[in-house]
Amino acid sequence: MGLSDQEILHVARLARLRLTTAELPGIRRDLNRVLDYVSQLQALDLADIPPTMHVVNMEMPLRDDVVAPSLSVEEATKNAPQVEAGMFKVPRIVESEGGGDDG
Amino acid sequence: MAKSLWMEDAVTLHELFVAGEVRATDIVEHHLERLNARDPVIRAFLHVAAEQARAQAAVQDRWSPAERAERPLSGVPVAIKDNIVTETMPTTAASRILQNFYAPYNATVVDKLYEAGAIVIGKTNLDEFAMGSSTEHSAFYPTRNPWALDRVPGGSSGGSAAAVAAGMVPLALGSDTGGSIRQPSAYCGIIGMKPTYGRVSRYGLIAFASSLDQIGPMARRVRDLRALYDVIAGPDPRDATSLPDTTDATPLSRPWRIGVPREYFGEGLDPEIRHVLDRHLSQLRAEGHEIRDISLPHTRFAIAAYYLIAPAEASSNLSRYDGIRYGFRRESRDLVTLYEATRDEGFGPEVKRRILLGTHALSSGYYDAYYLTAQKVRTLIRRDFDDAFHTVDFVVTPTTPEVAFRLGERSDDPLTMYLGDIYTVTANLAGLPAISLPVGWAHGLPVGVQWLAKPLADHQLLEAAEALEGLLPPVRFPEEVEG
Repeated sequence: MGLSDQEILHVARLARLRLTTAELPGIRRDLNRVLDYVSQLQALDLADIPPTMHVVNMEMPLRDDVVAPSLSVEEATKNAPQVEAGMFKVPRIVESEGGGDDG
Repeated sequence: MAKSLWMEDAVTLHELFVAGEVRATDIVEHHLERLNARDPVIRAFLHVAAEQARAQAAVQDRWSPAERAERPLSGVPVAIKDNIVTETMPTTAASRILQNFYAPYNATVVDKLYEAGAIVIGKTNLDEFAMGSSTEHSAFYPTRNPWALDRVPGGSSGGSAAAVAAGMVPLALGSDTGGSIRQPSAYCGIIGMKPTYGRVSRYGLIAFASSLDQIGPMARRVRDLRALYDVIAGPDPRDATSLPDTTDATPLSRPWRIGVPREYFGEGLDPEIRHVLDRHLSQLRAEGHEIRDISLPHTRFAIAAYYLIAPAEASSNLSRYDGIRYGFRRESRDLVTLYEATRDEGFGPEVKRRILLGTHALSSGYYDAYYLTAQKVRTLIRRDFDDAFHTVDFVVTPTTPEVAFRLGERSDDPLTMYLGDIYTVTANLAGLPAISLPVGWAHGLPVGVQWLAKPLADHQLLEAAEALEGLLPPVRFPEEVEG
């Protein structure tokens, strides 16, 4: 049972990827071949098996809670496509409700 | 012909430099000359930092013998895979989304290289975000195998492997998530090591699959590999997964007990590679080592588990590329369209495939069936190795089922490409240290043997590799066999 075009477009939206109708058949074929291959894992009885979340058993290390040097705002923003007043600039997020100012 | 400096191994170059017999400037010039002669065809590098390397060499030439000696890689040219961030060179991960990106800091391993006196020659090509086994998925251009220019160098650290094999540098850094150091090392006839997970800091390694990623050394000689390993290994407060300095100093006692897992010698293994491996095992037996037939029964589920875990983690790690804080941006009216347009143009097809697969595997209603199931299978694979290492010191397998394939041969067939990782992904899933060594030739191309040890036994593994180097064919350079 493979993924339909509809399901793939849903996943693409979750991943913030846009797929064109031209790309879709190839993507569907490749994804479904891989999903078909990995379905062999369903045959294993894993009821009593704990998942591996970390390969080496170690305690979570905690660093000392002290202030240390970090990147300056200028360094941290130097690769940004748009910066204003030391902040990352993005398109408007909230729609303005008729006649408000630009802020 | 007189031996040129580019033919020397790293430790020898360092020793000549310390003794004052050669200048760092000459070492760098010889390697740049070699690079300029070979790389227009091989294309191992994405960025060559010739002027920075020359400046570094000029500074080192003014060092006293003592200053040269206290830095273990002084005078030695090194290349860095381009998914490891560098402040003074661009870092692209071979992706359009990071074209022209200059990191505001160096990866810990890069700082360590500079402290050790290494001279950084440039940044090497890879499959985009290290996702691939051929370096054909680089957004910029593919790299060619120095031994056969119509074949791939392997991947994803294909640029580093090709650069070392062709003599452009004696040492390089790679990264290995499912075999990305070992497989290209095997395809290019060099030595590559994936250390125990957490042994080398990942701070500044562009994240692909965080529970699997590990930086490691690549070289033509074991003692060079070891010199580079010694420089980069160790705990790092900036990487919470880096291991405390618990070096297992247990000396290795002879004879070694060597496990040969039957699952790695079955269907799908090229008979000529099998033949080369059989000869290697006979030599080990003749040296007095004990060869044991063992079983790692869950090996056949490794690729399926890997291709759920790695894409799932990748889909999460790559969500940061949104066109806001760094990298490429496609301007749009609203934010969601900006994200989608940026990612659509910025990522190549293999990266998109894996993001989609991983997003699906983590999405509501599928998490248990896919990601959690794969993490449980990972436990079974770890237990297989735990059991094996109760009775053997090392596990020996082929590194790859086949020799380097032709460019373009697999680019339309992702699943077949994935299946080629069968012998290497288990070390990542289990966190084990593993080395690929050039053990012979099949179809006129290099063959790699993989040695695995238990977690934290990196030193024993390096010691074994050094001891058995005498059984390997002598180091050669590609043009010696060309005509």
